[in-house]
Amino acid sequence: MRRTCLALLAASLLAGCANVGVKPWERDVLARDDMQLDSNALDAAIDDHIYFSKEGTSGGRGFGGGGCGCN
Amino acid sequence: MRVQLIMADKDLKIGAALTAATCSLLGIAAPTTAFAADPDAKWDVDSALLYYGESDSRVKDLSLGTHATRDFGDERKLGLDLTVDSLTGASPNGAAASGGAQTFTSPSGRDVYSTPAGKVPLDDTFHDTRVALNAGWSQPFARLYTVSAGLGFSNEYDYQHLGANVGLTRDFNERNTTLSTALAYGQDTVKPVGGIRTPFSLMGDVTGDGDDGGGSVHKNVLDALLGITQVLGRHSVLRLNYSYSDSSGYLTDPYKLLSVVDPVTGELVARTPGGAPGATGLYRYENRPDSRRKQAVYAELRQDFSGKVLQIGYRYSTDDWEVDSHTLESRLRWPLGETSYLEPHVRYYTQTAASFYRYSLASGEPLPEFASADARLADLDAYTLGIKFGHVAPSGNEWSARLEFYQQKSKPPAETLIGTQIGHAQMPDFNAVILQFGYRFKL
Amino acid sequence: MRLLAGGPRPLLRRWMSLLVVVAGLAMAVGRPAAAAAPALDLAAYRGKVVVVDFWASWCKPCRQSIPWLNEMRSRYAGRGLVIVGVNVDAERAAADRFLHQVPVDFELVFDPEGSLATRFGVKGMPSTFVFDRDGKLVDTHLGFRATQKTAREESLQRLLSTSAP
Repeated sequence: MRRTCLALLAASLLAGCANVGVKPWERDVLARDDMQLDSNALDAAIDDHIYFSKEGTSGGRGFGGGGCGCN
Repeated sequence: MRVQLIMADKDLKIGAALTAATCSLLGIAAPTTAFAADPDAKWDVDSALLYYGESDSRVKDLSLGTHATRDFGDERKLGLDLTVDSLTGASPNGAAASGGAQTFTSPSGRDVYSTPAGKVPLDDTFHDTRVALNAGWSQPFARLYTVSAGLGFSNEYDYQHLGANVGLTRDFNERNTTLSTALAYGQDTVKPVGGIRTPFSLMGDVTGDGDDGGGSVHKNVLDALLGITQVLGRHSVLRLNYSYSDSSGYLTDPYKLLSVVDPVTGELVARTPGGAPGATGLYRYENRPDSRRKQAVYAELRQDFSGKVLQIGYRYSTDDWEVDSHTLESRLRWPLGETSYLEPHVRYYTQTAASFYRYSLASGEPLPEFASADARLADLDAYTLGIKFGHVAPSGNEWSARLEFYQQKSKPPAETLIGTQIGHAQMPDFNAVILQFGYRFKL
Repeated sequence: MRLLAGGPRPLLRRWMSLLVVVAGLAMAVGRPAAAAAPALDLAAYRGKVVVVDFWASWCKPCRQSIPWLNEMRSRYAGRGLVIVGVNVDAERAAADRFLHQVPVDFELVFDPEGSLATRFGVKGMPSTFVFDRDGKLVDTHLGFRATQKTAREESLQRLLSTSAP
């Protein structure tokens, strides 16, 4: 039941997202380095290493998306 | 101590491997727009020298990390990470502070170390060097898909990790929406110094021959991640992730103990060592479950305000050890002119204690199935405040400096305190300074 | 998913070209002042093979496609190839900085508001629209990949080998 709900939520998010966004030629700001979700990859990796060595939980950041949307 | 620092790490090593490997994948999956002086440069290398130092005589870590990406054209990318770090200093061994001085046998069993009266016991007998290597590859697969795969390896004196991961992303809605999935599997091998302790066995005396027993145990971790990245507008992008993690095998910290105390007064039960020096109190080695299932949701928003970028992230994590946490983190990239920037950073973290967390054990009471006095599994709050400064040279190379302050405060759940502990229970709270110098260049 | 492979329907294509011309004229007439109104008169290129390429300074594959377009122009301009680059940077300064580093040998039109991009139905960056000597849209390319260079050049050669109307 929970899994079905999650799947439906994901599907509706995807469908709902169809009208949100920008045109392909309007991605100038999104293409900037500082707007990439992984812009601080090394810092993030260092921080994650410190925090999960000293705290009880970690991870979850993931990857993919945003950016210039080219090709 | 090195191993203790890493042991909590070990529960989540795959989280690390996944994060590190996916971070390297992140590095190679995202297009860069910095047109450096040499536009044909193929390698983009980011390196950092980091000093992490806790207050008093506690953990100090020095590490050198590099994250390099190589662009093979047409979005095919290779990412390589190499980190070397060296750890010294003392960390809490799980025993509780006591009215009198305490002596413990060191993990190797060859020596003893002591703690003065009234202080939280710290073990300073370890220092270790760790090497970690990650490699990742990503490439397009049909126009809207990207596939990635990676391998990870890390090694230190008593711990080894091997991991592999795969990922897939698919774009929708003219690339305004990206769906991503990733799977990672890790196999870790622990060879505790002094051998594998029987759960809840008592800490004994020094054994002159330093016989390890030499055993090794394993731990496997499976991580899965599902994410959506959505462009909200010309100036903002949102990421939502769901992750699931399943660890099984040896999840206990082989060096951590619990103090055995009087069930009425809460004072440490004394022990007289045999012929050789040894522990002067009753201490039992901890025992954690052999499986841990964790789920987390993460949301991150990046918003541009005329060149300044605000990043806000929130993560909620819950697991079957009952360690639930909330993390709220924010960074603001503030450009200074055309070539420099300032980036303040704040983070707040709070977690609830594991169901089997205990401040100490009461003598005479039946042993619980699982127990740990590791403060990292207690109710705790942590705060980070930091600032980073960066400057891009005309060559396109960037150097940066980052200074952060970290403070961790924990408290034992009232129900685990006994007798006089209620009045004066001490947690090994600490502050730490993080200082990092970074240099990013193209080859 | 709307596909680009076939392009808009034939009648629509003709009307589009006309619309672009009219819009260009209207804008040219209506706004004599500084605001850059993109004018792209495809009718002026009748008899030639026209490649219209939408690019931007922030688009990394565009950076790779421009030297290739320069090369195509130098090889085939004599045989009737015209390349028109449409820049969609919102800020002209960004485009100018890019042009300092990456020279462009073909004609440029600036479309900061994206009106040409909208009319052409640009679905991704970069986007290239190829028109034959009759002014018909015969090919649309989404993105730029080094592996496609040979095939695209061959298709241009085929178009160039047809005689002018």
